[in-house]
Amino acid sequence: MLPADRPTILFVDDEERILRSLRMLFAASYRVLMTTNGHEALEILRKERVHVLVSDQRMPIMTGVELLRQAREYSPPSMRLLLTGYSDMEAIIGSINEGEIFRYINKPWNAEDFRRTVGEAMEIAIKLWNPAPVEAPPPAPDEILEILLLDDSPEVAVAIRALLDENFLGAYHLDWATSQAEAMTILERGKVSIIVSETRVDGEDVTPFLKTLKHFHAQIVTIVLTSFSDTSLLTDLINQGQIHRFLPKPMRKTLTVRSIRSGIDRHREIVQRPQLSLRHRVEPPRATVNHSMISRIRGIFHRVSI
Amino acid sequence: MRNLVDLSLPVEPIAPHHLIGTLGDIFLQERHERLLSLPIVNEGRPVGVISRHNMQKIFMSRYGREIQGKKPVETIMNPAPLLVSVDQSMEEASHFVTRNIAFPITEDFILIKDGQYHGIGSVIDLLRGMEERMAEQNVSLSNALSLLKASQSQIIQSEKMASLGQMVAGVAHEINTPLGYVKNNLEMASEAFKLLRDIGVAHNALLSALQTGEASDEEVHQRLSELEARNAGFQAVYPEDEMDALFKDTLYGLEQISEIVVNLKNFSRLDQAAVDNVNINQCIDSALLIARNVIKHKAEVERNYGSLPTVRCAPSQINQVILNLLTNAAHAIDRPDGRIVIRTQADERYVHIVLTDNGKGIPPEVIKKIFDPFFTTKPVGQGTGLGLSIAFKIVQDHKGLIRVKSKPGLGSAFCVSLPRST
Repeated sequence: MLPADRPTILFVDDEERILRSLRMLFAASYRVLMTTNGHEALEILRKERVHVLVSDQRMPIMTGVELLRQAREYSPPSMRLLLTGYSDMEAIIGSINEGEIFRYINKPWNAEDFRRTVGEAMEIAIKLWNPAPVEAPPPAPDEILEILLLDDSPEVAVAIRALLDENFLGAYHLDWATSQAEAMTILERGKVSIIVSETRVDGEDVTPFLKTLKHFHAQIVTIVLTSFSDTSLLTDLINQGQIHRFLPKPMRKTLTVRSIRSGIDRHREIVQRPQLSLRHRVEPPRATVNHSMISRIRGIFHRVSI
Repeated sequence: MRNLVDLSLPVEPIAPHHLIGTLGDIFLQERHERLLSLPIVNEGRPVGVISRHNMQKIFMSRYGREIQGKKPVETIMNPAPLLVSVDQSMEEASHFVTRNIAFPITEDFILIKDGQYHGIGSVIDLLRGMEERMAEQNVSLSNALSLLKASQSQIIQSEKMASLGQMVAGVAHEINTPLGYVKNNLEMASEAFKLLRDIGVAHNALLSALQTGEASDEEVHQRLSELEARNAGFQAVYPEDEMDALFKDTLYGLEQISEIVVNLKNFSRLDQAAVDNVNINQCIDSALLIARNVIKHKAEVERNYGSLPTVRCAPSQINQVILNLLTNAAHAIDRPDGRIVIRTQADERYVHIVLTDNGKGIPPEVIKKIFDPFFTTKPVGQGTGLGLSIAFKIVQDHKGLIRVKSKPGLGSAFCVSLPRST
């Protein structure tokens, strides 16, 4: 096997002892590359086939989020992970919205769990490395975008509707649910492409619902629009919910429109190439919805079969 | 709280054509005892007042009553009485009355409602009303003051908590990094140890085969090659030099962690006297270690310490001041070659700490306000605007001085001077 074909992982951290430790953890399984410098990391990504990229967040020359953002352009098929000891809100949000990471892992990590996570990422990256060149067909002119809003605030519903009217003309259909049960009914009725959701609705934590939904229906893109922000809630939404974007309230119009647009692209991408949903595979959620809900979510009918 | 309308005395008004001669009797009525004047009202509208004072002038002059008595009161009344609308506030009314009333005070004022006569108001009642009002306002003012004081100390507390929180988060990161590799290394070492144990088992098997002498050559050979295979497998995954580095790194990481813990303890000085004679250079060192996480990626730090006499101070507070100045300096730096220079020196009276940065500097219109509470140039939610005002207060409480000099684009210098121990 040529070295370039071996499963390759790149670690970026400004602490060399971390790099040495990680190399030892993975040297037996993969070709391990490492650097303390973000620019060098991008250079490696440009030249070599790197299946998995694991970056620290706080680094002098380039932050982890910045590196991951650029890595999306330099090497789109690489799976991106953040490994950090410092959970600041801004970095976590950046890792979602800009880094589009597969996992957010805290330092200190558990060696066995980390091996398993990296193994999973590696497997997905290898499987999807050579994308069949799918020519994205232009969306059918009569394609109606199905958007589900899950939020108990009428103001938000009005604002979202106005935003959609302004930016997507008539090419969408918005359903507004003010509870998880209502959302479920809507999901069972039609083919929802994007769900824009609060984290708490009608006094209920809906994140387990969002996570389970992602688990069974990766093509439904989740955008979380919330006034709650808590670091562990967010990291769980990454690892167990693979949310597409995190938007803090009060809602910012351009950001929301941009997020919905990229959400549409993501949705179409997965519909056209269902294998890509592997890239958004979630960890089994810790807090889960009850069994009947799971089977209902699992049973949601989709005209676009995956 | 009383209002103007409560002051209104319901006095039956006098008509303009009422004869002067009979007014005396009305004034003498017991219910009018407190009145200085009587209102003259025509068809509900007040047209004047007649005062006791004026009546006295007439009645006391010789034949006054006979000459004037048959005339209507409108000929001698004051046709321009003070009119106060009952809708006005007590303050407005009192302002108006005190400005316009004639001295000595010989008249009351007339209260009107929608231009119609409502009643008589006496100046003394108005003054009493105002006095009550002031007393009430004093109470609510002092209530507001104590509320304000309470919330101020709460805000100072929350600023402390916020900077403490920031510090703790920074320190957590500092600890999490070594903890990350220490834990990982230890987990790998324990895996390696399992392999070593297996090698030991294989080794013993070979040894016993050799010792008993009963094993066949083939068996010995097989055991030997198994041992060799395990050994080689171990060497491949855990090369000796890497294992050495792993243990060295682990110990280094643990030292890092204990250094951070010791330093946290020094910085907070929780287990030491609140006020002590301390060496300021040590305070700076301990603040620097705490701020390391903030400064690390921003600036090089140059320490230029003079030999210092001790300063009698509350070290945890002085540490807080230095930490605040250090983090401010780091936040002000937005260039790759950031520098923070800390110089200390002493003269006969003071120990001086001069902290210079090459950050973006402070514009002149801002520098006047930097020690004001709640003044901040940071976006909402990122600064309470209390850091420097608290630093100022702490230095002031120590009978010290804090001064600042800055050139936008070049940097800032803060000087803290603390009186030396006597």
